Amino acid sequence: MNQPSIKMRVKEKDGAIWLRALIKHPMETGLRKDKETGSTIPPHYISDVLVESNGETVFSADWSTSISKNPFLSIKFYGSKGDTVKLTWKDNMGNSDFVEKTVGKK
Amino acid sequence: MERRRFLKDCAVIGATSVAFGTGLLTSGMAFATESDPFQTTSVDAVLAALGVDSPKVSDQIKITAPKVAENGASVPVAITSMLKGTTEIITVVAQNPKPLAARNRFGKGAIPWVSSRIKMGETTDVIALVKSDDGYSMAKTKVKVTVGGCGG
Repeated sequence: MNQPSIKMRVKEKDGAIWLRALIKHPMETGLRKDKETGSTIPPHYISDVLVESNGETVFSADWSTSISKNPFLSIKFYGSKGDTVKLTWKDNMGNSDFVEKTVGKK
Repeated sequence: MERRRFLKDCAVIGATSVAFGTGLLTSGMAFATESDPFQTTSVDAVLAALGVDSPKVSDQIKITAPKVAENGASVPVAITSMLKGTTEIITVVAQNPKPLAARNRFGKGAIPWVSSRIKMGETTDVIALVKSDDGYSMAKTKVKVTVGGCGG
């Protein structure tokens, strides 16, 4: 992918890491109809999200179509500067992407 | 409200029986779709599929959501749990076609707080289901939606 699908920020404050991520994804519900053809647009959504810090899972989520388009996610976990944080997503059509960042570095 | 729900349930049962009749579904497949909490269509069914039996209401769970959401396609909701040993926060939107929105699991070192944006089809309750040391607990808050965000 040329354009990264994830924008992620990790910030350390008082021993905790605050992660904010914006993922670019259509999150189709499968209920919408194409206005021109009248056919139903098939569901296309992120089903799995995983956050790892230094290789250990700190957060994982199963999502459904009830999550907004271009999902935003924010979580907090204990950690310190220099930790490597990795966020991975997978959707129901087999696409996936990840981003990896070191806390305290731009 | 009761009537609407009854009609909805009827429609679901009708659709399933038609599927059975035409041989589209085998009984095994039907079972699989029933037990997947993400495919269920009512709050009770979500709870049943998750194996949760009447969770107690707790004031230790806080839901931060707007009272009135102008755009149902993107409602910011943050949920935090002060319960000991919280491992899961499950977000359910009561009247959505598929009520179960997210199942968030917290690993070691995670603070039980999650913030994201959800879709809401109509004015309804946002339910937070928390799995902690005391089993399942829940909290809910009503969000008024002026423009729905499901379908169109």
